[in-house]
Amino acid sequence: MTQGAVIDGLLAYMATDHSPEDEFDQQALKLFAYQYQHNHPFQRFCQQRGKTVRTVKSWRDIPAVPINGFKELTLSCIPASDAERVFMTSGTTQGDVKGKHHHPTLSVYDYSMTKNFRQRFMQGRERIRMGVLFPTEALLPNSSLAHYLALAVKEFGAQESHYLLAREGLDIVRLIAELERAERVAEPYALLGASYSFVHLLDELHKLGKSFVLPQGSRVLDTGGFKGLSRELSMEDFYAQLSSVLGIERRQCINMYGMTELSTQFYDSGNAALPAVKTGPHWIRSRVVDPLSGKEVPRGERGILAHCDLANFNSVTTILTEDVGVAVNSGFLLLGRAQGSAAKGCSLAVEEFLQAALG
Amino acid sequence: MMPIREIAGYLPGLRAEEVQWQTLTFGSKDQPLEVAVPVLGDDQAIALIARVKQASRSYLKSLTVAQIVSIVDQAIARLLDSKDPYRQKADTLLPLVTGYDPEMVRLGLTGYLKTFRRPQLQRFVVEDFGNPQLLDEFQPRPKGGFSKAFGVDLAVHVWAGNVPGLSLWSLISGLLVKSGTIGKVASTEPLFAGWFAQLLVELDPLLANCFAVVWWKGGDEAREKHFFQQADLVLAYGGSASLEQVRRQVPITTRFLPYGHKLSLGMISRRALDASKASKTAQQAAYDVMRYDQQGCYSPHVFYVERGGKITPEAFSRYLANELSCFERKFPRRALSLDEAASVADWRQREELESLSRPGPDVVGDGPWTVVYNDTVQELTPSGLNRTIRVMAVDQLGQVIPLIARHRSFLQTVGLAAAPRELFELAELLGRAGVTRISAVGQMTAPEAGWHHDGRPGLLDLTYTVDVEASAEAASETFAPYVD
Repeated sequence: MTQGAVIDGLLAYMATDHSPEDEFDQQALKLFAYQYQHNHPFQRFCQQRGKTVRTVKSWRDIPAVPINGFKELTLSCIPASDAERVFMTSGTTQGDVKGKHHHPTLSVYDYSMTKNFRQRFMQGRERIRMGVLFPTEALLPNSSLAHYLALAVKEFGAQESHYLLAREGLDIVRLIAELERAERVAEPYALLGASYSFVHLLDELHKLGKSFVLPQGSRVLDTGGFKGLSRELSMEDFYAQLSSVLGIERRQCINMYGMTELSTQFYDSGNAALPAVKTGPHWIRSRVVDPLSGKEVPRGERGILAHCDLANFNSVTTILTEDVGVAVNSGFLLLGRAQGSAAKGCSLAVEEFLQAALG
Repeated sequence: MMPIREIAGYLPGLRAEEVQWQTLTFGSKDQPLEVAVPVLGDDQAIALIARVKQASRSYLKSLTVAQIVSIVDQAIARLLDSKDPYRQKADTLLPLVTGYDPEMVRLGLTGYLKTFRRPQLQRFVVEDFGNPQLLDEFQPRPKGGFSKAFGVDLAVHVWAGNVPGLSLWSLISGLLVKSGTIGKVASTEPLFAGWFAQLLVELDPLLANCFAVVWWKGGDEAREKHFFQQADLVLAYGGSASLEQVRRQVPITTRFLPYGHKLSLGMISRRALDASKASKTAQQAAYDVMRYDQQGCYSPHVFYVERGGKITPEAFSRYLANELSCFERKFPRRALSLDEAASVADWRQREELESLSRPGPDVVGDGPWTVVYNDTVQELTPSGLNRTIRVMAVDQLGQVIPLIARHRSFLQTVGLAAAPRELFELAELLGRAGVTRISAVGQMTAPEAGWHHDGRPGLLDLTYTVDVEASAEAASETFAPYVD
């Protein structure tokens, strides 16, 4: 199967509105065969796990590649140099090694993003005036989030949509002007960006003693957590403050869960109740697994999230995250990252050793 | 299933209903266990400290070492008796608290308790003091004059870890030097020390106020401060971060004895690798890995295996994998929490990913144990614990020294399988590199009585020595009422 045929088949599948399990399976197995053949590090990974095209019979059998694999291996069906775009992880957690996700074309990523975003964030609205709390795509060409937000502005932003992060940090003057304008002309306004930037925004507005009541239809999209780049808040405090300072209902404060290693995002339907259920479109499915055995944990128990994203046509469909989750009826609850386990005994654990090595 | 309930700690002078309790939960869905641990108020802590100090002065210091050894020996004899209610409680509850296989806990406990019987305790004392009576009365010294070793009035011990009974070691050490002891149990194993304290008091009711077993949440400085400021000596087990946190609170004039997390390893000489001996050695190595799922400071993280024997290092790693698989059937690994499992998985996945870039390591095992084989020499790093072990081939065992010497502050035990001459040659080099204990492979997790934990004289460290110099003795003669 050629790459062109893979993409065409995939886009047609994504364009449908629903997907029974067997159709998802068919697509996943087709992609597995394609990736097994063309993505050699992935093939070796599968062989090590004793998995071949013959033994993988359902999307659940596809071995999930740990996200560290995107750091150690070149997971791509085409030569890395032929990729239209390479998204890289921010590399805040593991030295300087960055995970790389190669995209031969962004057409699938973009289709996945726009179809899903329209439904989950726009909710029937064509365009909305957006303020973005993140650097531009030109500044961060390898950031999947920068691309995601640029795409949001391009496809769904009203004409005067704008970036609120300048080189010096948050453009608080423009931000206040925008919030006041929205209140004055009663035009819904959307703020989108990294969760930690929203904390900076809250801190700045608190310092100035300002709060707003944005018009009905206004909304917030935050993503990615605080990553040590702002003070840490509980989710409850975070959404309570966002809601009270901006005058936006908590059900209009939507959290997006995405990863550089995926081409599809998950959303919740607002954060009125926590933790909010995350769901994705029909071309992505998730399992909650025991990280050691890779087997699904009994329903309702905590485990590590593994995602099978068919829009990942060139790398690997199925990845093992480091995120803890619980499966619920329609999707999953995201419960944060697995914490490196504190040593139970007096034997040295890797983390303490590394800390000593770093000084 | 109804939870079993147990109360932790030993609090002389305080009635249970006066104390606030917090519940820690252990066990499984099939058999939950709720342990109540005491949360002392300021006044209660202060009263307890005063009580232990007073009793250690008035009673403990009046006993001879031989009397103390005798009481401890009786207590240990009780615990070695499988029908004794304390022992039965330990055999039932410690597996629930720690998650370890019950049979492993039972065997481990028996082996451990045996090191505290009278002959072992006597050896323990002689090891540090030469003449045990140094603890009882002033003894003549070869240099002239007299000396006596005194235990402090109050030593505070901070215990850590879920290796069952770890606290026994320091509790008994404190008794042997006649030091009042307040021990803080770890949240991961809060029970054993309290039982032992109660048992001692059953055997000698006058000991009732000489020690206490308490609990607080590590890092709770408001509660910690009384204990650390009132102590004459603080001994603490834990990771670097928690030891640092304790040290900050200990007055500069108070002796502080930190026992940090350690890294231990094994070394297998080519002479141990002939067809008849290699499989036995692999079994012993696997035993050291299996015991307490590598949670001990003496547990191996890596085995360095020398090339040139009949059995190659790679074959040895397969033997080891096979033995681990056998042990898993006999003594299954305890169930891991999600975070622990994720951390083991992370370690193994990194090795697996590495193995995809040739020539990488071989990774064997996908269940409760993992053996990683490196054919080339790599930097020393800790294993993922919980039965994850690295085997690394080396041309000469001497090659290992520079690799480990860089991490001397973490080194503790080396399990060594080598011929006599190599043993002593390597012992010299390992000692210089910072290793403090060399044992046989298979004995790594069972230090012998009187060992020098982390290279320290454990009992001596708990005492101070008072010298009566020859001049004082000579001068006293001139003041004797019968002087001519």
